[in-house]
Amino acid sequence: MEYLETGKIKNQAPKHKASVSKQTGFPSPATHYMEPSIDLNKELVVHKDATFYVRVSGDGWSEFSILDRDVLIIDKALSPKAGNLVLIVQQGIFKVIHFPVSNRGTSFTVWGSITYIIHCSL
Amino acid sequence: MIAMVDCNSFYASCEQVFRPDLWGKPVVVLSNNDGCIIAANKEAKAMTHIAMFEPMFKIKDQLIKNKVTFFSSNYTLYGEMSQRVMNILETFSPSIEVYSIDEAFIDLTGIVHTPLKEYATRIKDTVVLHTGVPVGVGIASTKVLAKLANKISKKVEKFNYVCVIDTDEKRIKALKWAQTKDVWGLGKKHQARLKKIGVFTAYEFTQLPLAWVRKEMTVVGERLWRELRGESCIEFRNMPKSKKAIGTSKSFGKKLEDLPRIEEACAYYISEVAEVLRAQKSCATYIQVFVTTNRYSDTDKQYSNSCTITISVPTNNTFILTQQARKALQRIYKPGYRYKKVGVNLTGLIPQEYVQGNLFESPTLYDKRLMNVIDALNHKFGKATVGSALVGTRVAQWELVKKDRSKRYTTQWDDLLELKNK
Repeated sequence: MEYLETGKIKNQAPKHKASVSKQTGFPSPATHYMEPSIDLNKELVVHKDATFYVRVSGDGWSEFSILDRDVLIIDKALSPKAGNLVLIVQQGIFKVIHFPVSNRGTSFTVWGSITYIIHCSL
Repeated sequence: MIAMVDCNSFYASCEQVFRPDLWGKPVVVLSNNDGCIIAANKEAKAMTHIAMFEPMFKIKDQLIKNKVTFFSSNYTLYGEMSQRVMNILETFSPSIEVYSIDEAFIDLTGIVHTPLKEYATRIKDTVVLHTGVPVGVGIASTKVLAKLANKISKKVEKFNYVCVIDTDEKRIKALKWAQTKDVWGLGKKHQARLKKIGVFTAYEFTQLPLAWVRKEMTVVGERLWRELRGESCIEFRNMPKSKKAIGTSKSFGKKLEDLPRIEEACAYYISEVAEVLRAQKSCATYIQVFVTTNRYSDTDKQYSNSCTITISVPTNNTFILTQQARKALQRIYKPGYRYKKVGVNLTGLIPQEYVQGNLFESPTLYDKRLMNVIDALNHKFGKATVGSALVGTRVAQWELVKKDRSKRYTTQWDDLLELKNK
């Protein structure tokens, strides 16, 4: 009896292994040099299950180079170091700050570390 | 040892992750069609003066007055968040049993070197840090005890969502704390039966003679009795069992009278269940269709009926199933009623490789490749991208009401959480 894996969201494996040359004339000189193409999910996302994307509306965070309609990649698993850009919650409101050296005097909850800012330039 | 991890008011927690303005505030989630409350967080549960189990139309004003935020259910979001939680749990042990959308057992046999309490705390902290969803962790030597430990971790404040039962002394203390209703799998009927003979706590239950338990509560009771005494007898399952029947029925967003619209809804449900059927590589032998009017209405004429059709060669082909369902529906549909709901059930499920043809029809009559293409397309481009034309394009006219559904923050690029700033 075969069992079903329910509820799993499976990603398709990248298919880039070297295969027999498909050129009908000269065989491809690249045959033995093939590598998988770049996958942003792999490069920009370290903790897949702790990564969330959020979209910014408004130019209020331009001092952090975060502009209107930018998408932020947020990693909740990272523990931020001083100076890192973090998304925090203060009195129920999202804010962006540089993580302070010491957070004496300010009370906030870190929602996640901002690892990348995706800006569409079109 | 076994750990039981259970998310705290999971649906409400999922909503709150993306709504920090609601942290610490009462939140409830509504059933399909916004009919009643199916989940409430701690803050909402504390409002005992609101009858949370009453239909929504009766308590809506009260909820608004008490500043309780309510959401239509967003199963896309809950399912994805659940998957994240389970993935994280899998980093703690190669053997986890996902028991439901918000709970899982973890087999700790041979993998824990640190003190159990520390380990449980690490599970709890990791899940909430990574996903924002808070969990409770109970650890004990059997599933039933682990489940009880989990309950204690949440109910008894000093445990702070982590409870380990690793000595006989702790076990007995837990059993004395637990009433019979706190025991996983001990139904209402058995609770009443035990109450009659003066058994109120789990501890008292475990002191009953085994012969009595076996006689009065069958093997199910015996298993609980043994598990509570620390003897493991409910096996660990890493994979779900194949389903014996697959069905769905949902109320319409508004009452429907004419057959074509109900046929569309029926065809839509068939496409949903047929996809599940194919995913588990089974075929259905019987198809049941039922319709019903709103039995809570005083003014509507009442009618409900169902019809089961035997499919000559068991199949998982959406088109054959749609055709048969339509036939069944036409048999039971009567004009002049305001229908509230149509439902479909596929039963007599058999593995697809065991399907037998008959003298006139062979099981390979319909091409499986078409179904594979349809499933692949719908997987890639979204649910119901392609399917039977009978489904039509008027889904919006009968679809469930989900007025207050949050966005699908984690699965739709256009639905991302929006951070507004000025």
